Amino acid sequence: MRQLRIFFRVVVETFLGLKHSGWSNWLVVSILTIALTIFGSILQLTMTLKNVVNSFGSQMVISAYLDNNHEPRNVAREVSQFNEVRLVEVVTKDVAWEDMKKNLKVASIPNPLPNTLHITVYSPEQVEKLAPKLKLLPAVEAVKYPLMVARRINEIRHFFEIAGVAVTAALTTATLTVIGNTIHLVIQARKREIEILSLMGVGHFYIKCPFVLQGAIYGALAAALAMVVLLVMQFYVVQPYMLSHLVSFVSLLPQQLEYSLVQTFTVMLVLGVAVGAGGGAWTSGRYIKI
Amino acid sequence: MIRLQNVSKTYGGRPALKDVNLHVALGEFAFLVGPSGAGKSTLMRLLYREEVPTQGSVFIGGVNLTKLSSRQIPLLRRRLGIVFQDYRLLPNQTAFDNVAYILRALGVEESEVRKRVSSALNVVNLDDKAGHYPDQLSGGEQQRVGIARAIVNGPPVLLADEPTGNLDPATSLEIVQLLARISQRGTTVLVSTHDQTIVNAMRRRVISLRQGEIVTDVDCGVYEVEVGQS
Repeated sequence: MRQLRIFFRVVVETFLGLKHSGWSNWLVVSILTIALTIFGSILQLTMTLKNVVNSFGSQMVISAYLDNNHEPRNVAREVSQFNEVRLVEVVTKDVAWEDMKKNLKVASIPNPLPNTLHITVYSPEQVEKLAPKLKLLPAVEAVKYPLMVARRINEIRHFFEIAGVAVTAALTTATLTVIGNTIHLVIQARKREIEILSLMGVGHFYIKCPFVLQGAIYGALAAALAMVVLLVMQFYVVQPYMLSHLVSFVSLLPQQLEYSLVQTFTVMLVLGVAVGAGGGAWTSGRYIKI
Repeated sequence: MIRLQNVSKTYGGRPALKDVNLHVALGEFAFLVGPSGAGKSTLMRLLYREEVPTQGSVFIGGVNLTKLSSRQIPLLRRRLGIVFQDYRLLPNQTAFDNVAYILRALGVEESEVRKRVSSALNVVNLDDKAGHYPDQLSGGEQQRVGIARAIVNGPPVLLADEPTGNLDPATSLEIVQLLARISQRGTTVLVSTHDQTIVNAMRRRVISLRQGEIVTDVDCGVYEVEVGQS
C-alpha cells in the first residue's frame, strides 16, 4: 500500500513535469511519431515481403510460356512425360486475356498474352531441376517459377531492411537528443526543487522516476499516433491498391500474405516506450546528481 | 550523536577544515560559530553528506558517513532535519504542502500526513498560515515553515546552517529560541551562525571555528568577535 502511494505521487510528479515542458512535449512526440511511422512502415513492408518470399519458396508450380506456333495441348502432353511432373494445366491465351480483363482495366488492343502451361511438380526441390529441361523444349519461349521471383523480392527486401535500420537508427538518435534536451530543461527548471528533495532524504527512485515515466509517455503517445497514421495508410493506400494488385497477379499464392498489423503495432509500442523511457533514464542519470 | 574524528577537508589543496575533533551528545544544543570562511558550512555539509572528508571520519548516531553508498544517503538524510539560511521552500506549494512533501514522498498515509504536519506547524506556531504560499509569508514565517519541514519526520538530529542570516535581530532570536525548544524534546541541534547577538543571548555550548580549526569549545559560552572579523 505504501509503495502504491509512492507510485501515485511519482505519477503526479510526472504529469507536473509534462506541464512544465509545454510545447516541447509536442516537438518530442512529433519527431518520435515520424520515426515510429517510418519504422512501422518498413517493418510491415519487409515482413510482408518475407511472407511473400516464403510463400513463393514453398510453391511447386512452374509457368511455361509457349510460342504461338505450337498447339498447347501437344506441348502439355510432351511435358507430362517428365518424371517430376505431377500435373499440367493449360491456360490458353484467350482464357488468360479474359481473366486479365476481368481484374484490370486494359486498353482495346490485340491479345498480347502467350499460351501458358502451369506445371505442378511433386516436391519444391524439383522446381529447379525441371525448369532447365523445359527451357530446352522448342515450344517453350520462357519459363518462370516463384523461386526466381522470390530471389528478386528478397533482394528488394534486404535493401528495405538495411535502409530501414539506417533511417530508424538516425531518427532514434535524433529523438533521443530531443527527449534528452526536453527533460534536461525540466530538470533545470526543477533544479532547486530536486536539490531540496535530495536534502530532505527523498529517494533516487522518487526523484528520477518521473523523468523516466515522462519519456515513456512520450513513447506511448508517439506510438499511438504512428499507429493511426499506419492504419490510415493501410485502409486508404495499401489495401485498395498495392495488396489487391499483388494478389491478383499472383493468384496461386495464399491470400493472407500481409504481416499482422497487431504485431507491428506491438513492436512500435515497445520500441517507442523503450526509446522514451531510455532517453528519460539517461538524461536524469546524467543531469541529476544526488 | 554527532562525532567527527580527525576530520580534514581540502578544496584543490586549500584546507577548509584541519584535523577537527568534535562530539555533540544526544539532545544537546550547540552553536558552531566563526567568521565567513572559517569552515562552518563545510562542516555542516559533511554532516548531511553533501561532502566527504579528505581525511578522518564523520559519525551520526554511530553510522560512519564516509562509508555510506549513494543509495544510503537518502536514508541518512531522513534521520536529519536540515534548516537553511535561504529557507529553500517550494514556491508553488503552500506551507502545509511544503512540510508534507517529504512524508508524501515516503508514502505516509494522508491522514497521518495531516496529523504530523499540523503538529509540526503547531510547534513553530504557524497553524493559521498553513494555506499560505511562501511569498505570502514574512522571512521569519518562511524560516519557521523550514523548521517545521525539518522536524516533521521526527529526526534525532537537526542541523541549522545560518538559519538567521536573512532575518532581523528580533526574529533571529525567536528562531533560535524555537530551535532550543525543539532541542528540549530530545533532538540534537547544531546551529551554525556568525550572529554574535543571538549566541550571547542564549548562553549555550559554543564551538568556535577559525581557519578550519576548532579554537574554543565552551559549554556555556559567548561568541567573541575579533576586530575586523565579520
